[in-house]
Amino acid sequence: MASLSLITPSPEIRDELHRRGGDTARRCFQCATCSAVCSLAPDDQPFPRRQMLMAQWGQIDRLAADPAVWLCHQCNDCTVRCPRNARPGDVLQAVRSMVIEGLAAPAWLGRLVGKARSTWPLLLGAPILFWVVLLGLTGHLAWPAHVTAFEQVVPHVLIYSVFLPVAAWVLAVVFIEGGRFWAFLGSSSPPRRGSFFGALLPVLGEIGTHRRFARCEAARPRRTGHFLLMWGFVGAAVTSGLLVVALYGFGMEMPLPLGHPFKILGNLSAIALVVGVVLLVVERWSQPRVSGATTAFDTFFLTVVFLVVATGVLSEVARLTLPGQVAGGVYVAHLSFVLTLFLSFPYSKFAHALYRTLAMTHERMTAAE
Amino acid sequence: MNDTAQLPVLVVGAGVAGLTAALEMAETGHHVVLAEREPVIGGRVARFHRYFPKLCPPTCGLEINARRLEENPRIELRLQTTVTGAQPVDGHWSVTLETAPVHVTGRCTACGLCTEVCPATVSDRLNWGLAEAPAIRRPFPNAWPQRFVLEREACPEGCRACVDACPYDAIDLKAGPGVEEMEVASVVVATGWRPYPLEKLPELGGGVLEGVVSNVQMERLAAPDGPTGGRILIPGTDREPRSVAFVQCAGSRDVNHLPYCSGVCCLASLKQALYVKEQLPECDVSLYYIDRRTPGRNEDFLTRVAGTQGVRLVKGKVGKVERNGDGLELTVEDAEAGKLLHEHADLVVLATGMMPETGDPFGLPRDEDGFAVSDPRRGLAVAGVAHRPADVAASVRDATGAAARALAAAGRRS
Repeated sequence: MASLSLITPSPEIRDELHRRGGDTARRCFQCATCSAVCSLAPDDQPFPRRQMLMAQWGQIDRLAADPAVWLCHQCNDCTVRCPRNARPGDVLQAVRSMVIEGLAAPAWLGRLVGKARSTWPLLLGAPILFWVVLLGLTGHLAWPAHVTAFEQVVPHVLIYSVFLPVAAWVLAVVFIEGGRFWAFLGSSSPPRRGSFFGALLPVLGEIGTHRRFARCEAARPRRTGHFLLMWGFVGAAVTSGLLVVALYGFGMEMPLPLGHPFKILGNLSAIALVVGVVLLVVERWSQPRVSGATTAFDTFFLTVVFLVVATGVLSEVARLTLPGQVAGGVYVAHLSFVLTLFLSFPYSKFAHALYRTLAMTHERMTAAE
Repeated sequence: MNDTAQLPVLVVGAGVAGLTAALEMAETGHHVVLAEREPVIGGRVARFHRYFPKLCPPTCGLEINARRLEENPRIELRLQTTVTGAQPVDGHWSVTLETAPVHVTGRCTACGLCTEVCPATVSDRLNWGLAEAPAIRRPFPNAWPQRFVLEREACPEGCRACVDACPYDAIDLKAGPGVEEMEVASVVVATGWRPYPLEKLPELGGGVLEGVVSNVQMERLAAPDGPTGGRILIPGTDREPRSVAFVQCAGSRDVNHLPYCSGVCCLASLKQALYVKEQLPECDVSLYYIDRRTPGRNEDFLTRVAGTQGVRLVKGKVGKVERNGDGLELTVEDAEAGKLLHEHADLVVLATGMMPETGDPFGLPRDEDGFAVSDPRRGLAVAGVAHRPADVAASVRDATGAAARALAAAGRRS
């Protein structure tokens, strides 16, 4: 009986999980239907029954070190079949939001984004204020009646001198948070084997094709929206990178003609983002049973994505059709929402891209031969 | 006590609860009308192979009750009869009894010549659809009364084969329904239960996969008067199963199905595990459960079955049953080991729960699970599983209580 250990329940953490939409955990009577119907649960470490028990006891430390929390894609097959309506899908989502906040660096930013339910005006408003002040101080608030290039609204140099440091900051945070999570995972699992990148590569392939997501039953409709959104982001990121190189490396003139390959890639990405985000929002509204509970964690993330995509497309249209003041305003709003998206990435639902990828890599490195 | 009361007490349903209530009241000297929908008495219990925990056949109890019934002139038994209307009148009830056409009369000697010539077959309700039966037949070997029944709707146009074959002139193809209005002092409602439909559990193979049966079907598979003559076979084949899995709480304790525990399915499956091991000692038996609910001295029965060689009890509710090759595969988490199992079984028994029969002309109050609640001020007492899920012994005790309440109401109101 050497493996017996004393478990100290934490009512505070349990209550916090309840507030984040995981209150149904208390209904769980450990029948294990959830683990048996989950299409993603591995045979030797099935979930989410055990995680439901940990959630009931408020054992956030064990949950934070548990890859299963992230291997779960919230298919909600468990939620649909649960005989107690304990909604394991929602409970794990609440756990994920808590883990993201718990691993956040710096912690106060994690708390700020974690409390988006009340802090959203600040999270959305501060970047707008920032841009307006910056443009005012640098004398760039007088826009022409017709904008032919956004260079006339915000000079590229201003954009890059803001976003490059922000991107570097986000990357640093991702490294810190990812490192913390990686250490947690390692502390509670069998030893890893092989190289990190050797395991990461097939994981990226799996993510790129959404192969695992396809095994979901209840939430399979969500896969298309998620697939489009993810590739839309990848496309937009690649386009942005290419533009920096084109602008400073080759001195190309902006805006590019509509037929330019970069422009086509950017517009395709925009279409994927628009369709993706609309599909996800519609799915969430029309199928609440299989989509899971919608909390501020989900709403804030979807809202930011929606605002970024909407203002992005709108500014492209506005530049060609609307007065310069309107087009400039939409464009500045777009830059502000992108800034919110960047800065909130490591602390919002967006961070699942980091943690799920690491958990899947860890799973591959600890899998039995 | 109450020989002077002029009106009879009505008992609805001649299953084990209704029979008990009717006999107890009649034996105290009261006049009782016992209405039964089926052409035989005994209800669900008559279809069991054996009772737990003593594992005696149901004829044990039913034969004694049939004899008490035959010997008691104060009970008027109305078979094939349903109560279709009820009106409260001056502190008692006026009820409408409708009797389905009685095509085989009391002259029947159960010789069986009609069955031999009958060209029509019907799905045998007694065997829960596991077998077909001739349209005219003895309901089952130990049926009481021993009178044949004819399912007239199944008769081919113009067929008179059974009428011509019957030497006793006991078959009347033209019999019509009967309707009677009657005043009764009080009522015992013992309308019992039906099993939760297998078809509502397709994820467990219910109604979809041939090797998946319900616990009530399993009783028939094991019963000597069942469709296989008592041999436990994989339905649709003549093969004996090498492995049998019992899926507990199939559609029970589940907000998507029956939210309550029927309280008997654990013991029924443990009992059926013994049927299997008695017949097929080499067969592997697994029982998958959330909790093992064997209250009181039934705990001993659990201990006995759990200790039987080749019987395995696994904590974990089965999530999926799928076809795999020529067998079945169950997916379940062994919650004690924390591992997912993909277990093979030739025969899967879904331990389905009991649903109260609906259709109630008295407008009885119902509890949150749909079971009827006694209403003594209106002279209505509920007995047996109509009242709450229960095993046979508890139903009999409940019926005795209901009899006392119905008599008290009759005495107060007549």
